[in-house]
This record gives sequence, structure tokens and C-alpha cells, in this order.
Amino acid sequence: MTLEPQAVSNPALPLLVDPNWIPKEPRHNPDDRDRTDQEKKLRIIVVDDESLIAETVAEILNGAGFEATAVFDGAAAIELAKTWQPQVVLSDVIMPGLNGVETGIKIREMIPRCEIVLFSGQAATVDLLEQARKQNHRFQILAKPISPERLISIIRASTEKPQ
Amino acid sequence: MIEMRDSLSKKLTAMNMLVSGVALLLAAIAVFSYDVITFRRNIAINTSLQAQIIGSNAVSPLIFNDVASAENTLSAMRVSKHIIYAGIYDTQGQFFAGYWRTGTGIPLALPAGSVGQPEFSWFEDGQFALVQMIYFDQKPAAIVYIRSDLGNLNERLKGYAVILLIILGASLAAALAVSRLSQRAISQPILKLADMAGQVSREKDYSLRALAPRDNDEVAVLVKAFNQMLREIQERDSALQESERQFRNLADSIPQLAWMAEPNGDLFWYNRRWYEFTGTTPEQMAGWGWKAVHDPELLPDVLAKWHFSLSTGQPFEMIFPLRAEDGEYRQFLTLATPVRDANGKIVRWFGTNTDITEQRRSEEALRQTEKLAATGRLAASIAHEINNPLEAVTNLVYLAQKQPANVHKYLKLADQELSRIAQITKNTLGFYRDSAALSDANISEILEEVLGLYARKLNFKNIDVTAEYGDGITITGYPGEIRQIVANLIANAIEALPANGRLAIRVSKVVPVSPLERRGVRITFLDYGSGIPPEQRKKIFEPFYTTKKTVGTGLGLWLTLGLVQKHQGSLRLRSSVQPGNTWTAFSVFLPDRPE
Repeated sequence: MTLEPQAVSNPALPLLVDPNWIPKEPRHNPDDRDRTDQEKKLRIIVVDDESLIAETVAEILNGAGFEATAVFDGAAAIELAKTWQPQVVLSDVIMPGLNGVETGIKIREMIPRCEIVLFSGQAATVDLLEQARKQNHRFQILAKPISPERLISIIRASTEKPQ
Repeated sequence: MIEMRDSLSKKLTAMNMLVSGVALLLAAIAVFSYDVITFRRNIAINTSLQAQIIGSNAVSPLIFNDVASAENTLSAMRVSKHIIYAGIYDTQGQFFAGYWRTGTGIPLALPAGSVGQPEFSWFEDGQFALVQMIYFDQKPAAIVYIRSDLGNLNERLKGYAVILLIILGASLAAALAVSRLSQRAISQPILKLADMAGQVSREKDYSLRALAPRDNDEVAVLVKAFNQMLREIQERDSALQESERQFRNLADSIPQLAWMAEPNGDLFWYNRRWYEFTGTTPEQMAGWGWKAVHDPELLPDVLAKWHFSLSTGQPFEMIFPLRAEDGEYRQFLTLATPVRDANGKIVRWFGTNTDITEQRRSEEALRQTEKLAATGRLAASIAHEINNPLEAVTNLVYLAQKQPANVHKYLKLADQELSRIAQITKNTLGFYRDSAALSDANISEILEEVLGLYARKLNFKNIDVTAEYGDGITITGYPGEIRQIVANLIANAIEALPANGRLAIRVSKVVPVSPLERRGVRITFLDYGSGIPPEQRKKIFEPFYTTKKTVGTGLGLWLTLGLVQKHQGSLRLRSSVQPGNTWTAFSVFLPDRPE
């Protein structure tokens, strides 16, 4: 009997992004309005081998006024980045194939101004970041689970930096 | 000593006398032989001369047939005492006239073959006989026959024997005197040497030396050789004492208690630490006095093992408590090995007692620490497993709030993720079940659950897992610990494997084929990683041994082995580092039920 490594998420997940959905809440922060135009232009690639996470995060970011696309592995992210030229890549770290750090380094080589944000659920990430640091690559890292509000504000803050 | 002296001088004396006696006898025999030969020749010459004289004077009486005149001539023989008989015969051998020392007698017939011979002589019955032809005017005229005894010779021989006896006596006396002197010259230095050897062996003083005699003979060589031997013994003795001193210094400086015993088990030496630790004296400890510092309850076991080692020569190894001076018992690992001579005979036992009280405490502490560390690692791993579904749930709840229309869909997905979390915590809880009591442990289930826990790690490295774990193979044991064993070995295999590696796991029932084996279950973990080189295979079960410094503490396998042993099972390692065929297999045997 062959043991299939347990599937960690359901690959036959229904598409969560509702194309008709537009965020309706009024923005309470007066500064928000100033940024809305700019934010709408922000292109974000969300990478996670757990498709449910990638898709929900992309949906949340789209709802927050960004233009986010979900992909499920590092290679797909790099491929998409070539043509789509994202301003932000939000990636899981531990993934089969290319891990988040490798993916981040490759994309940064292609698009130096692209902001790379990693998010991870495990301690083993520390070793990978250490390896990256030795090659002079520093990444912002977020711990899973992260509340969607915080994620949105962090992405906003990181793109506010003068580029 | 006296006996030896007598024997030596007797031998010397006897030898001297024998030499003198034999020399003298040979000389005497030579002189006698020469004398006998000379004497016989003289007799022959004298007798022949007398025969000539008689013959010359007998020719005319024979011609004129005048017997009286012939007898008158013959009577002159009276002067020669040794002449027994003299006779005158005509040329035909007819008797004519005779002389007998006794006065009268019968005429002797001429021996056959003597008539016609110019001279015919022989020795017979201690007598000399001569038949002589007498010539007159170149023609045979008469025959004279004379017999003479050898009385003269025998007298001379008697004289010689007397002289020989006197000389023999004198020379033996001289030999005796000479042997006295030679005893002083030869046996005296030897006796001195013997006395010296006696003194050396009595006093064990190898610095003494024998006095060499002045001459350069064999005795002097012997004395020199003896002194050389003493010098070598003295050197060896001092080297031995030095090595003995070094040994005692060493024995006193080691942290162990040390001792030596006779082959019969009598202890005759302890190092200083023994006395310091036990607070005893050498007098109290001599022989079997050590029994006093043992726990009386455990002493019979110790004695039984010690007697077994003494009778079989097998090294002694045992852990037992010894009482310190303050009355507190401490645990000692005691090892004793037999010291054998060149023939393999045991000449003594050397033993050490190593205090392992602290070691045992720290090992226990280490075990606890590693358990905590393992728990920590497990917690981190579990946190990760939970964090992912938690992330999904967080997102889904957020989206549900934002999109009331899709609440049902999001909550359904969130529910699925929560079930995942519940499954993970349920699997994890298995590690923390009470391990004090034996209960049923379903090996197949445990394997499935642990593999589930590691699924993400396996998936991340894209490891191909082949697992045959039967259906509900159950033994009696400590399920939490069996889970720990399985988890440790799978985690090791994952660490050992490169990306896209292969891991095979197999569970099989063990049916005993001999009374020594036990019924149970065997779980084999085979990874096709780089293998473990032979030199590492033994060390791998030692605490703090690790080849992956950044990942592990080096305690995993040591702890795993401890858990396997708690189940009275065994853990076997096989590995291959042959290029192109590298693999490592850990095989755990667990009995159906620990006794």
C-alpha cells in the first residue's frame, strides 16, 4: 500500500474570488481616499502551496482595493511576475519545489523595486532566512496566522516607503 | 654446607689419588715388563754360555767314554742355584751323563725335533730349557740339555711389588696433602660464592658482591658471572620498584577506587582513595574485610558473582553500592580483570570501583531535558501544522464578515479547516498519554498518525513513502512512548533524505522459531539516504552524538534506544555506503508484552 502524503488542502476548491464583488464599506481614514488611486494600481502576487490560503488572501487584498492574483508555487509566481510586473509579492516560505526565499530572491533579481513579504507558520523558516541573509537578501517576515486587517496595513506601509 | 664441603674435598682427594695410583701402576707395569724381558734374555745368554762350557769340557770324556769325568764337570753346576738339570748326550741324542740339583734323578729325554738343531730353547712351567749342539773341529760332537728355574725373576718381582706398595702409599699421602691445598685454592672461593648467594637470597640485598679470587681461572669467571647477575638483578629490581612506585602513584591519583586480589580472592592492596572513601584501615580491609562496606542485603549477590569470576577467570562487572565514611551509600560500577602470567595462569586480579552516582543523576536529568526538548520540537512542529489551517480559518471568517451573501460557503470551508486542526491535536495527544501503565498499542494506527503529522515535511521534500503497516497489529506497551520511537525514527529518516528521496516503512509480526526468541512486532524504517559509515554506527546511539549540529541535540537515538529497551525490545541498525546503493535501515523489535 502506498501512502500518499496527506493532502493539506482541497485542490478542487471553488473559485473564491467573486468578480462582481466590490468593497462597499466607507473608508473611515481620511488618508485612505488619497491613496485609493495609487492602491488600486498596486499589483500583488500571493503564493502559497495551500491553495485555500492563497485564494482567500488574494480575495481579501482585492477587497481592500489591491489587484491580487493567487498562484500555488514559486515557479508560477516567477513566471507571472515576468509579464505582470507586480509591486508586491506575498509568499509562503515552506513549499514543495522552490521555497519562498528562493522565489523572493529570483523575483527581486528580475524586479529590484518589487517588495517581497514572506509569511510562514513554522520555525524552520529561521534557517532559510539566515541563508538568505548570508547572500545579502533581507525579507520582511510575517507569522501565520495573521489577521487580514494587519496584513492590509503592513502591505500599505511597505509600499508607502519611498521607492 | 658441611656436606657439600666434604663431598667436594672427597671428590678432589679421590681424584688426586686415582690419578697418582693409575700413573704409578702404569709406570710399575712398564718397569716390570722391561725387567722380565731383560731377565729372560740374560738367562738365555747365561745358560747358553754355561752349555758351551759344559759342552767343551764334555767332548773328550764323551770320546773316551769317561762318564765319571763328565759327571765331575757337570757337578760344577752346583754353583748355579737355578740349574735344575743338566745332561750330556751324544750326537744321536743318547744320554751320556747328567746333573740334578736334587743329587739324583732320571735322565730326561731330548724333546722331539731338538736333535740336530744348533740351539733350541723354550720357556715351560716357569722353567727355561735349552738344547745346545756342541761342535768340535767344526763337527757336531755332543748335545747339552739344561733346564733352569726362574726363581731369580720371581724374587725380583716380589722386591718390585714391595717398592711399588711403598711408593703408592707415599704418593697417596702426598695426594691427600695436595687435595687439602687445592681445596683452599679451588673449593674455598666456590664455598665463599655459595655463602654469598645464600646471604643475598636471605637478605634480598642485591647490592652485595662476591670477592673475585686473584687468579684468572674458571672460579674467577664464575664469580664475575655471579656478580654480573647480581648487578642485573639489582637493576631490574630497582626498575621494578620504580614501576611499582609509579603504579601506586597512578593508582592513588585516579578518581576510582582500585584494588588487587590474590587468585583466591584475598584482597591484599587498595589505593589511597579506597581508604579515604570508606574511612577504613588496611588492617580492617585485609583479605575479605571489604564485605564490611557493602550493603548487607546485596552482599550475597556480590559474593556469588565474585566467586563465579574467581572460579572461571571471567572478568567481573557489577554495579553495587559502597558505604562512604559518613555512612551514605553511593553507586559504583565495579570492574575486575584477571592478570595472567606467560602461561595464562591467573596471578592476581586488578579491580576498580567507579562512582557513577553523579553520572546516573545527570543521565536522568539529561533524559528529562531531552524529553522537554523533544516536546518543544514537537510543539513547534504542531504549531506549524495548526497555523496553516488557522490562517485559512482567519481569512475565511474575515471574508464571511465582509460578504454576508457567501457566509454559508465560507463557514463550510472554515469548518473543514477546523476539523483538520482537531485531527492534528488528537494525533498529538497520543504523545502525552500516561506512560506509567501498560495498555494496548495499535502499531498500524500509531504509524498512520505519526506519518500524518509529518505529512507536510514529507511533502515539502517530496519524499516518496512506501508503507506496509498491516491492519491493526496491536501489542501491549506504552503507546505514548512507542509513538515517540516511531516519530524519532521517521524524523531522522526525513533529515537523512535529500529532496525526492525514498522512505520505506514495514511492520511485520515476529513469530519465534526458537525458545530464546519472543513473539512481537518488528518495525523497519528504510531510507535511501547517503547511509551511515561503519565508524559512526556504534557512536550513533551515544548521547550528544550528532552529524547535524544545527538540527539536532544528538540525543534522539539515545533516547529512542532507551524507550525500546524499556519495552524489552531491540533496535538494530544496518546501513550501506556503497556508491550507487546507499541506504540506512533502523529495525525496532518490540515484544508482544514486556514482562
